[in-house]
Amino acid sequence: MLPTYQDHRVNFVNMLAYRYSEPKRGDVVTIKLAGPSVMFMKRIVGLPGETIAFHRGHAIINGEPLNEPYVKNPCDWEIPPRTLGADEYYFVGDNRSMPEYDHTKGVAPRARIAGKVLL
Amino acid sequence: MTKSSVGKLAVLLAIAAGIAYWFWPASPERIIKKQLMEVAKLASFGPSEAPLAKLSNSQKLTLHFANELEILIDVPGRAHQQVFHSHDELLQAAMGARSTLGSLQVEFLDINVTVGPDKTTAVADLTARIFISGDKDFIIQEIKISLRKIEGEWLIYRLETVKTLS
Repeated sequence: MLPTYQDHRVNFVNMLAYRYSEPKRGDVVTIKLAGPSVMFMKRIVGLPGETIAFHRGHAIINGEPLNEPYVKNPCDWEIPPRTLGADEYYFVGDNRSMPEYDHTKGVAPRARIAGKVLL
Repeated sequence: MTKSSVGKLAVLLAIAAGIAYWFWPASPERIIKKQLMEVAKLASFGPSEAPLAKLSNSQKLTLHFANELEILIDVPGRAHQQVFHSHDELLQAAMGARSTLGSLQVEFLDINVTVGPDKTTAVADLTARIFISGDKDFIIQEIKISLRKIEGEWLIYRLETVKTLS
């Protein structure tokens, strides 16, 4: 999540953030793996039902480029369009300077979202 | 009942509970979790592991797997789609890691075991945290492990990495 969040820092997560509201685009969230011991921290860029692609490292939502002021490092990612399911979100980190294959990103259901990262 | 007799009764009950816990047969979930912790321990090695220990620990690792096995590993940026189908291939991989890496520490976290209704199959979902000497960061990977009870022993017949974000 560089440069928005630095590595090896303590971050606080609101685990109740989505109890009564839906996750929003731009939210930085934690994503559960097998349990709560280790989680990914990613940004939501795609919402259920949307079609997402990447062109020159920037997200394209339903054919329109997404304003991403948090992306500081340009890159050359090219990812073809993909339509999300009714319960699916697209997560990606802010650090787009690494090769696309090395960057952990992609789709997961809402149940994987553990909470919202607090600044 | 006097205070001292109540105290004695409490002590006796505590001892009885301890004995019952000790001799009570462990649940399959508990046995499998313990076994997977052993697998993580055998997959790990330090920089000073003796040559004989390298072979011995690698062989012990394979004993936790069924003869007919399938291991599918795909860790983006680390290991591109590696597949193992036999004890020999697994042994070679374990020995290869020991000869090429300085040290490796494998931890299995959040182990969730689901035993099948037939009580002879089980699936474990867990998060592996792997430290490789010389690397700045550790590797985090979700893993799904399928086990089958063969001649009284729970053996792994399939291990695959899970794409948390697909």
